[in-house]
Amino acid sequence: MTRALVATLGLVLALRVSASGTVRVLAKDPKGAPVADAVAFVEALDAPAPVHPPADPVAIVQKDQEFVPYVTPIVVGTRVSFPNKDTVQHHVYSVSPAKKFEIPLYIGESSATILFDRPGPVTLGCNIHDWMVAYVYVLATPYFAKTGADGVADIAGLPPGRYTLELWHPRLAARVDRQITIEASGDTVQEVSVTLRPDRRIRRAPESDGAGYR
Amino acid sequence: MAAAFAAALAPSAQADGPYYSDSASVIWEDNATTAPPGDGIRSAFTFASGGSVSWIYSLGFSTLLVSSMSANIQVCSRFSGLDNLALGPRLEVRHKVGVGPMALSLYAGIGGTAAGYSDPERSAIEGTLLFGASQRLGPAMQLAVDGRLGSYDARDVVFTGNYASVLAAVNIDLDQTWRLKLLGGWRAGDTVAGYTAYKSSYGWEPVDSDALNLPGAWHYVATYKEPFVDYRVSARTWSCGCALSPAVGRNTSLTLQYMRFDTVGPAPYIDNVVSLSLAHKY
Repeated sequence: MTRALVATLGLVLALRVSASGTVRVLAKDPKGAPVADAVAFVEALDAPAPVHPPADPVAIVQKDQEFVPYVTPIVVGTRVSFPNKDTVQHHVYSVSPAKKFEIPLYIGESSATILFDRPGPVTLGCNIHDWMVAYVYVLATPYFAKTGADGVADIAGLPPGRYTLELWHPRLAARVDRQITIEASGDTVQEVSVTLRPDRRIRRAPESDGAGYR
Repeated sequence: MAAAFAAALAPSAQADGPYYSDSASVIWEDNATTAPPGDGIRSAFTFASGGSVSWIYSLGFSTLLVSSMSANIQVCSRFSGLDNLALGPRLEVRHKVGVGPMALSLYAGIGGTAAGYSDPERSAIEGTLLFGASQRLGPAMQLAVDGRLGSYDARDVVFTGNYASVLAAVNIDLDQTWRLKLLGGWRAGDTVAGYTAYKSSYGWEPVDSDALNLPGAWHYVATYKEPFVDYRVSARTWSCGCALSPAVGRNTSLTLQYMRFDTVGPAPYIDNVVSLSLAHKY
């Protein structure tokens, strides 16, 4: 009797496991080079999945007068903290439609947390150090991942169904999306060609005033 | 001193800093004697090095008070009388009209410099009103305008005077490393023109007798290795130039710059200046 119960439970669990799939996204530029820091996400076409923001805030650190990480994907309702590990103050702000906020000059790791309550891209900056820039991408789906240096992002735990796969990157030249289907048994690999705009970040290096003139 | 001054002005503000920066330059001038066309034009190399320390105080969302203290030393390869050490504080209020890198940035401030020269007659103190603005025209292009109203008081009246100047620069970042800079400037006020001299029975006189008709103060100077008389004249100077500045890492850059200074007035002269500078911010 007990053996039968265990066997039945195991079968159910196995079916459940096999009933979720993984999308491996390979983001490459037109020359075939991997594209890092792209946010890959899927949204269900049939029944949108609810999002569950994490209980603890996600941290975007300021270190050596840069934001780390450069791109942070989160779900709607997530709180983000901005610990400043530098020895100088920063003034973090965003004027993006999805989230406008500012944390005036501060130092230290216990900054206020900011609630990101609307989906969309949010550009972060420091009002003192103009070269500092980072991005938060706020998602209305729990299924997402960020590409690493190898251009790979794995989105796991997808129930079978029809989805829209989309890719976002701070320098994305044109929207990238496609429809995919997750079968009950199996994973899928999606190779995505991404065209990026030139990297036009503000130069950080200082410049001397050159020769003075009497 | 600047920090103390700033703290006194804004006792409730929290200081951010110190920020340190330094630079070293090699400068070549084709007319280091600032001489009108004739036999007084002498070229020279100058080696310059300096550093500054600054503090930032927040006066509000987009307004900062910046205090700094800088020191610079210059050593001339040919004329030791031009060797000098300058030290001075600077206090500025900077305001961004809006937020972010694309916002117009304005500043106004005061500065002071005490400069001691090997030729003590040139040693002077200077007070300056500073104002300016910068506006990014895009992530890779920035327009900056700096203005000054200055007054300097030297031991010799020839090297004493007042001026107003404006310098405009367009910075164009070709990529993350290379920056092209275009410069144009204007200056009006007192300047010094040098003439070779000989000793007559009346004392030192300029070889160019036309100089005797110049208005303003003049004096024999021992700055150079040969006799010169320097005249203080009121003149306007137009300047233009360009620079190429590669970044060397995150906090360091090299700048190769050329500037042409064209002074017009009673004693017109031209000075071409080429400099190679290394700047670092800590």
